[in-house]
Amino acid sequence: MLFIELLKTSWQSLRVNPKRSFLTMIGIVIGIAAVITIIALGNGVKAKILKELQATNTGKQTTEINYYPNDSTAATQGFSENDLEQIRSNFSATLSAVKFKRDTKNISNTVTMGNDNRTATLSLVKGANQHYDISTGHNITKSDNEVNNQVALLNKKLAIKEYGTEENALGSALSVGDNTYKIVGIFTKASDDYNVDFLLPQKTYLYSTAAQNGSTIKLTFNKGVKVSNASKKIVSFLKKNGSSRKAGSYEYTDMGSLLSGISKVISSLTYFISAIAGISLFIAGIGVMNMMYISVSERTQEIGIRLAVGASGRSIMLQFLLEAIMLTVFGGLLGFLIGWGTAALISLALPFKAIVTFGSFLLAFGVSSLVGIVFGLLPAKQAANKNLIDILR
Amino acid sequence: MIDIKNVNKFYGQGDSSFHVLHDINLSISEGEFVSIMGQSGSGKSTLINIIGFLDDEFKGEYFYYNHPIHEYTRTQFSKLRNQNVGFVFQNFKLINTLTVADNVGLPLLYAGEKRKAIKEQVKDVLEAVGLPDASEKKPTNLSGGQQQRVSIARAIVTNPQFLIADEPTGALDSKTSREIMTLFKELNQKNKTTIIMVTHDEKVALQSERIIQILDGRILSDKKVNA
Repeated sequence: MLFIELLKTSWQSLRVNPKRSFLTMIGIVIGIAAVITIIALGNGVKAKILKELQATNTGKQTTEINYYPNDSTAATQGFSENDLEQIRSNFSATLSAVKFKRDTKNISNTVTMGNDNRTATLSLVKGANQHYDISTGHNITKSDNEVNNQVALLNKKLAIKEYGTEENALGSALSVGDNTYKIVGIFTKASDDYNVDFLLPQKTYLYSTAAQNGSTIKLTFNKGVKVSNASKKIVSFLKKNGSSRKAGSYEYTDMGSLLSGISKVISSLTYFISAIAGISLFIAGIGVMNMMYISVSERTQEIGIRLAVGASGRSIMLQFLLEAIMLTVFGGLLGFLIGWGTAALISLALPFKAIVTFGSFLLAFGVSSLVGIVFGLLPAKQAANKNLIDILR
Repeated sequence: MIDIKNVNKFYGQGDSSFHVLHDINLSISEGEFVSIMGQSGSGKSTLINIIGFLDDEFKGEYFYYNHPIHEYTRTQFSKLRNQNVGFVFQNFKLINTLTVADNVGLPLLYAGEKRKAIKEQVKDVLEAVGLPDASEKKPTNLSGGQQQRVSIARAIVTNPQFLIADEPTGALDSKTSREIMTLFKELNQKNKTTIIMVTHDEKVALQSERIIQILDGRILSDKKVNA
């Protein structure tokens, strides 16, 4: 018998008893749906973490090295341009970029206002934004930032404390590093990162020489570099050669090992739930086997007739095996769709998307076929080995 | 065509084994219409199971067109059955979940043909047995006589060398029996199909050409029917 005709024959037989076929499938559906759901969510978490921890869009990994001075009032920020040059020349094979990590918000710096030196907090702006209001004077404009105008905004509370009125503060000078800024406006009602003492134009501030140092540098690695090892080497290099090595310590967060740690947790969670689903699939498989045995004994006459008109034992076996496989594969595909839907639904309430890959599809397909073969084989063999004479008598 | 030499058949094994057929010798040629008669338990069904390649566990020799069937494997038996013999059973043996057309086409499917390709053949053979409109019905919706016609259609659809009919009229009333016998005679005379029929109805047997009497597993008599 042609294989395609065998397939149709099996399909016909399953449709004779749709309710029973459907009920037999349910176990497989639930098992596969559970596996697909957890794998889709696991993939989603992994992708999300990768995206969060990797700064560059090209998939290159980055590490930040921080400098912590022993004396918190020390003037040095830790890294100089010279340090960066040394790192660049010594680690050119592994690194694609070395930069200062520029803080633009909540920077602590020493400023001179009037005749007092004081430590103040400042944030950088590129122009007006909605996080604060101007109560007196005028705002920093986009063009102020573009052309490096040395202008600044002063917090209303500080203005009243230092100058008595807001108006008095306007026009006074503020020195940050080597630059002197003119206070052009007083700001109020600032929120979050903007609730600081001063607001300065970002480009103007970063352009000044005082900013040519930093407490944090950002390393971007070439693809394929083992980030943990490379970071460790660079840190120990800095401990020997860094410009401020005697006044503080260099530390870095190992994103790579953090990442692989989280991945491991998710993987083992996936294995755990897969194992539970595996048990459910096993039980479902036994259900299929049971149903096939019942089917074989119910359809003894049919088997006899088929054998009498010339069916070989092999085609009888294949027919029943295909019935079992069809049941489990349809169950598997249904489970795949339900699992996909469930994962998508669950991810609505979570901060990441469920990701269903072609691999997950293959897994559902493969596992359900395997269950069909394993648990369909014995009943199918029994069907094929029936004694024709006993049946027909 | 069929040559059976010293065939013995036992049911069961060891001390409890039952000797059903004793040294059967039998020859049947092409085109014959043979009736096998005997009481129930006489072994006549056992004999036609052997003749029809349903039973491969017997002692002795069976030559079919001079091929030694007794040496064949089970798989070869399946093929032999499919291509050379058609069966008509007392209780029709139709698959009730399939349509009439699917039942009739079954032997052709197992011969390796496609469903689409056999539609015409199935239609022709259903017409030949007088059921041109029954193809999409289920067997359970047909009368006994109609069901027997379907099973005859299934038996002849592969154009087999011979037909085995085991009590073909056993479950039918006398009128329907006559119709079925007419159909058999037609097949025998028009298509030259060899027919081997088991019956214990004398009237039915008399319509064939040759009657073989069996008693307790031995051939009692073997004679031509006088026309």
